[in-house]
Amino acid sequence: MTGNDIVDIKVAATESNWKRTGFLEKIFTQKEQEYIKHAATPDEMVWKLWSMKESAYKIYTRQYGGRFFAPKKLSCTLLSSTSGQVTINTISYQTITSSTNGYIYTTARQEKYGTDFLNYCCEIHGHFTNQQKHVYKKLVASYAANNGEDNRNFTIIKDKNNVPFMYCKKEQQKIPVSITHHGNFAAFTIN
Amino acid sequence: MSTTELIEKLKVIVKPYVKNEEGFKNMTEESDFLNDLKINSANLVDVILDIETEFDIIIDNESMEKMLNVKAAIEIITTKLGEK
Repeated sequence: MTGNDIVDIKVAATESNWKRTGFLEKIFTQKEQEYIKHAATPDEMVWKLWSMKESAYKIYTRQYGGRFFAPKKLSCTLLSSTSGQVTINTISYQTITSSTNGYIYTTARQEKYGTDFLNYCCEIHGHFTNQQKHVYKKLVASYAANNGEDNRNFTIIKDKNNVPFMYCKKEQQKIPVSITHHGNFAAFTIN
Repeated sequence: MSTTELIEKLKVIVKPYVKNEEGFKNMTEESDFLNDLKINSANLVDVILDIETEFDIIIDNESMEKMLNVKAAIEIITTKLGEK
C-alpha cells in the first residue's frame, strides 16, 4: 500500500505563510522544527516534511480508518536527502521525496523493500474540478496501458471517508490508489 | 454565543481559505472543512490559528484532531469559551 502527496512550491508560497506566529508549533515536532531551522532552504524543508506527513497519513487512515487532524502525531525523521521515515502510534512508514523547481513530491510505503508501484507525476493547468477530472483520466489511462486493457474498464471511486480506489468493472475489483494534486501538479500511485 | 452567531463568525474566518465557493455559500453546521469547503489541509492550521485569535482561546492538540468540520469547531469553541 502506498500514499503520496505533492506540493506546488509557488502556490504554497501564496497560500500559506508558515512564518506566522504559532504555525510551525502547531504542525511540527521539536525535531522537525530543528530540521527547518538548520535547513539551507527552510521553505523547501517545511513542505518536504509536510508532504511526508500527508503521504503517511493517507496510508495510515486507509489501514486503520477514521480521519483526524494531528500533524504532530506523524513524526518525521530524515534518513538522507531524499529518504525518510514517518512514525505514528508506533507504526512506521518509509518515504521518498523528490524536488524540482516546481514541486515537492513524497511517496510513502510501509515496507522498506517491496514490489514496485506505478508512480506518475504530471503538470496540469486549469480549474480545480477540471484538474481532478484530468488526474483521474490520466490515472485510468496509464493503468489501462500498463495492463493492456481498455480505459473504459476502469473508473475512480471514493469510499465514505473520501479514500480513492480504482474500480475495474470487468473484474468487479477495487484497487487502492493514492491521488494528490496541488496547484499545477498532480501525481498518483497504484500498487 | 448562539450556534448561528458562531457559524457567522466562522464564515468570516474560513472565507480566505475556501476553494469551493458553492460549498461556502451553503455552509452549515454539517459542512466539512476539507471535503465540502475544499480548504487545503495546510490552511486548516491557519483556520485554527485564526479561531484562537478571534475567540482568544487555545486549541490544544487533542481538540485540533477533531477540527475537521463546522460542528466540531463549534463544539470546541463553545467548550473553550466555557472554560474561560
